[in-house]
Amino acid sequence: MNAFLTVLRLLLFPGGLFLLVVGLFYQWFARKLLALLQNRIGPRWFQPFADTLKLLAKEEIVPDGVNPYLFIGLPVVALAGTLTAALYVPIAGLAPSYGFPGDLIVVLYLLSLLTLCTGLAGANTLDRFSLIGATRTLTQLFAYEAPFLLAMLGPAVMAGSWQIGAITEYARSHWLILTQPLGFIVAVVGLMGKLEMPPFDAPEAHTEIVAGALTEYSGRGLGLFNLGRAVELVVGLTLVSAVYLGGFASPLSFLAKSGAILFVLVGIQALLTRLRIDQTVGLWWRYGTLVVLAQWFVMIVVWR
Amino acid sequence: MEPNPVPASFNIPIGPQHPALKEPGHFQFTVDGEIVTRAYVRLGYAHRGIEKAAEERNWIQDLYLLERVCGICSHIHAFSYCLAVEQLANVQAPPRAQAIRVLVAELERIHSHFLWMGVSAHEAGFDTLFMYSWRDRERVMDMLESLTGNRVNYSANILGGVKFDVDAAQAASIRLGLDFLEDRAHHYLNVLSKDAMFLQRTRGIGVMTRAQAEVMGAVGPTARASNVPRDLRVIAPYAAYPQFPVHMVLDTRGDLQARFEVRIQELFESIRVIRLILDSMPESELSVSMPRRIPAGEAVVRLEAPRGEVLYFVKSNGTDKPARLKVRTPTICNLNSVVRLVIGHQLADVPMILAGIDPCFSCNDRMVQVSRVGQGDPQDMSWAELRNYGINYYRRLSK
Repeated sequence: MNAFLTVLRLLLFPGGLFLLVVGLFYQWFARKLLALLQNRIGPRWFQPFADTLKLLAKEEIVPDGVNPYLFIGLPVVALAGTLTAALYVPIAGLAPSYGFPGDLIVVLYLLSLLTLCTGLAGANTLDRFSLIGATRTLTQLFAYEAPFLLAMLGPAVMAGSWQIGAITEYARSHWLILTQPLGFIVAVVGLMGKLEMPPFDAPEAHTEIVAGALTEYSGRGLGLFNLGRAVELVVGLTLVSAVYLGGFASPLSFLAKSGAILFVLVGIQALLTRLRIDQTVGLWWRYGTLVVLAQWFVMIVVWR
Repeated sequence: MEPNPVPASFNIPIGPQHPALKEPGHFQFTVDGEIVTRAYVRLGYAHRGIEKAAEERNWIQDLYLLERVCGICSHIHAFSYCLAVEQLANVQAPPRAQAIRVLVAELERIHSHFLWMGVSAHEAGFDTLFMYSWRDRERVMDMLESLTGNRVNYSANILGGVKFDVDAAQAASIRLGLDFLEDRAHHYLNVLSKDAMFLQRTRGIGVMTRAQAEVMGAVGPTARASNVPRDLRVIAPYAAYPQFPVHMVLDTRGDLQARFEVRIQELFESIRVIRLILDSMPESELSVSMPRRIPAGEAVVRLEAPRGEVLYFVKSNGTDKPARLKVRTPTICNLNSVVRLVIGHQLADVPMILAGIDPCFSCNDRMVQVSRVGQGDPQDMSWAELRNYGINYYRRLSK
């Protein structure tokens, strides 16, 4: 019975199929909302599903000059990383499936795996657009990672535990967005950087470098990377809203809170111009890090 | 395993097929990290042989052919051609016809600048502005359609005049549309000159000094943004511009920001002139008759298209077809500046600088000359060699 439950958790809920469906649905919601804000009609609800099915069914072309094992393996690792991360966060407002002290750090690194795999995938090919894209992807990773990590660790320090389940429990009685507003802002903007959403989409700026690191990918590899990003969207939204927006009482509050953050993300996306990669790095190290360090200073001096 | 040879330079090819280009052109940028150190341009992918085709058709048919030189500024080409042919035939189009030609030309300028604003915002990753400005551009296209019956190739001109009149109801609807567009243009000017994120991408980027602009022969809004007073509507007024004078919009900064602001200020200027024309439209016939054979001679006409100076050279030998016709569009004058200005900028700024001159490749592609002929490469052939190759090829097949 126990083994059956484990398989269920991994394959259907909250990992596996459920996450893929929810991820693609969130992706549709973001695209539709952006379209409405930009005076367009936008895709129908099943468009991301249709795209994914089409990509998975298509032939995967392995270009000359790449390591074929890496080329095929990287998208799988990227998707697996994000799916594993989902097991430790309160998806759909339910308690995390698994947990151990310090799983917050593991989840944050599992979420970076997607970016790392994207960068490696770009560096693996000989394509010039991919190489530039890979450089930018990894540069951006080093820019937002430290501030994002610090922003997520702030609540952990307040809760006195580095286990996501415990932080969420603590957050249910404390709306940390009120006491750590700067941390919340950095976390939300960091999430945008992680997901390479505009204005942080320099790594895949299609008017400059076509599709960035993934230019050579087609068919299954591209489909898996896209699924990985969809799952990362859900996991990231869950993590930030669970930690900063007072935890989840029910699946409904999960939907409301993660939806609210997604709404903000899309709104920012519609308002801003793409940042150049040097501007992105400057933004994070000149402002992001300092802001979050100021938050830490206040937290340590005032509350502790 | 042998170590990979270190490449001497890292080249980024942009085009002929690339998301940043709406038309085929080829650019080669050598980059050092993100910084562009060398740039190279190759044109000729959209050469359509229009000048030769014009020699094969009669004077009337050419009017329709030349309107299709450019898909955005179509009217200005037919307008230039008509002025040149009328000059050769020594015929003057009536004043009302000239006023209507200018009216359509200014509406076309509004449409072109709105389109450009969207495209360059898109190059900067500001898609919301792209969508909004193209939505508003629909309004001016509707106005043009209600006037001429067409959205793109308006076909307003005939030799010796125009095809249609502007009545009071049309004038009223144009005025309403202008009010809307003026309001929107104010809004966009506000966004483009105040939005901090957008300013980061335009201020101080691609700076062209006045001296540089003059040496590189820049034309149109690109030159005026560098404070070069070059606007043919002002310095050499044609058609109805002497009666409805335009004020030149100049900017001293010479960067992308200046190019944005100059073009938006020109929108206000166009709107003002259109209102002026609608207020005091001269009364006259719409056209005069033209001879079928145009007397022998040569004519040069220069007009201010939305992108800059368009030059038409027309030569007649007294028959019903032109003997030679030469078109020079503004993009070819401005492209030189792109190749110089991108040096030292980041790769991310390249699409913006390229879009900043409002390039239109199909219009400027006139002739392809391969300079490597006779150096032993079997792929490169002269015209005679190619002809012989073809003859021999088919001879072999038929044996």
